[in-house]
Amino acid sequence: MPEPRGSRRWPWRTLRATAFPLLLLGLFEATARRAAALGSEVLAPPSAALRALAQAALDGSLWPATGFTLGAAALGLLLGAGLGTLAGVTLGLSARASRATFLSIELLRPLPSVALLPLAMLVFGFGTGLETSLVAFGTFWPQLLLIQAAVRRVDPQLLELGRLLGLSTAQRIRKIVLPAIVPRVFTALRLGMGFALVIAVTVELAGNPHGMGYAMLLAQQSLAPAMMIGWLAWIGVIGVLLNTTMLRLQRALDRRMGVAV
Amino acid sequence: MSAPDPAAGQPAEPFLRFDRVAIRLGGKDVVSLARLDVARGEFVCIVGPSGCGKTTLLRAAAGLLRPAEGEVRRNGRLITEPSREMAMVFQDYGRALLPWRTVDGNVALALEAAGTPRTEWPGRIADALRKVGLQAHGQHFPAQLSGGMQQRAQIARCLAQRPTLMLLDEPFGALDAITRQGLQDELARLAREQGLTVLFVTHDLEEAIYLGDRVIAMRTNPGPGRPSLARAIEVPIDRPRHQLATREDPTFLRLRRELFDHIERGHA
Repeated sequence: MPEPRGSRRWPWRTLRATAFPLLLLGLFEATARRAAALGSEVLAPPSAALRALAQAALDGSLWPATGFTLGAAALGLLLGAGLGTLAGVTLGLSARASRATFLSIELLRPLPSVALLPLAMLVFGFGTGLETSLVAFGTFWPQLLLIQAAVRRVDPQLLELGRLLGLSTAQRIRKIVLPAIVPRVFTALRLGMGFALVIAVTVELAGNPHGMGYAMLLAQQSLAPAMMIGWLAWIGVIGVLLNTTMLRLQRALDRRMGVAV
Repeated sequence: MSAPDPAAGQPAEPFLRFDRVAIRLGGKDVVSLARLDVARGEFVCIVGPSGCGKTTLLRAAAGLLRPAEGEVRRNGRLITEPSREMAMVFQDYGRALLPWRTVDGNVALALEAAGTPRTEWPGRIADALRKVGLQAHGQHFPAQLSGGMQQRAQIARCLAQRPTLMLLDEPFGALDAITRQGLQDELARLAREQGLTVLFVTHDLEEAIYLGDRVIAMRTNPGPGRPSLARAIEVPIDRPRHQLATREDPTFLRLRRELFDHIERGHA
């Protein structure tokens, strides 16, 4: 990355990137204020949402809900992506296993995880188990497919090299296949994180009385549009933060792995 | 000089022997040959047009594929699978090194595979890198090295295996002329010093004559009664050879003409 040029230009770059969102925000503010002046209880201006959010942060009501959602999403992702990676590597390596499971996967995969909510409620009741299991279900499939494709795309010559050197199958997986797919595993995880957050919040909106989604629903039902929009913005901010962190991690990892030198 | 079977070697006990080998890929005969013997310590070059089965022959020697008919033996033992005694150098060096490992790490892969005790690694790695002149680049990733250096790294990994047989598949084909000549001389020196038996595939006639003790020309589309091996010539030029002097040597020029004529005719 050409650091000096980039740093000299940063105010312009930041300005260019933020100009449009700021304009939208301004428009939103103006519209919502006019609506509020006319007595609307649907819209709140961003400034009011920010105030409500700040207050929630100060009185502490912001954090437990945030923690619950992120915790359930993280746990679910860990489970779903972990098992998905395992299954993806297996199916990527074994054409036989892949043929044997193809139909089952194609039947189960399109099920929206929220459609499983009634069933999962009966099994887990309300709480972490419900949300975690649905996040795990929803993140398992994309992870499986992406990892399976990544394994299939490992350079056959590298695998041949492993055979020539006399590496055992386990060694070939550990020393060649797994390192080769690390960048794609990371990309898959980054996508999975987005899915996990979406599913977690959806489950909270659709029934699980915990977390940010439920808090947003409560704000809506108690006619507090400022807090509702505040939650919405907060969920967005968290999504952006998570994605940026993952991107940074991935770049650092790529450098370490000799990919982007 | 007019042996009945052009590919038959003279040694009594061949190190590597292809015996009535037929290799089919996708139902088609790719390679078919009556007999090819390689003596221990011999440097044999295989030339021929693209698609004549040079690489296939090498892969059979490496144990990566089994011939449909006949057998390949090394030291009298049937080759059925790869062995650490055989090291293979791929042409495409960019896909023959693990990009996420440094040069040291790539050489270490051979030692990991062989189960060499970890305490011996530093010495073995340094030794292999010194032999190819890469001692200053152990910490570099392949992407940080030139093509020639990556090819050296690949050769270093092969040497770390301590093989008796080196199989090289157009190893210098993708390198520039100067780098190629440097690596040719180093390979010739290493093969002599380490007493390696070498099977070297190339499409460059001059390279084949310059490096080989014997050059074997292959032809495309063998069939019944039409073996893949078209011709074998001995190269009676003393070693060490020299890039300029050897290539101007009358024997060199005569062999080049002979081989060239032959391949030209084979094509027509």
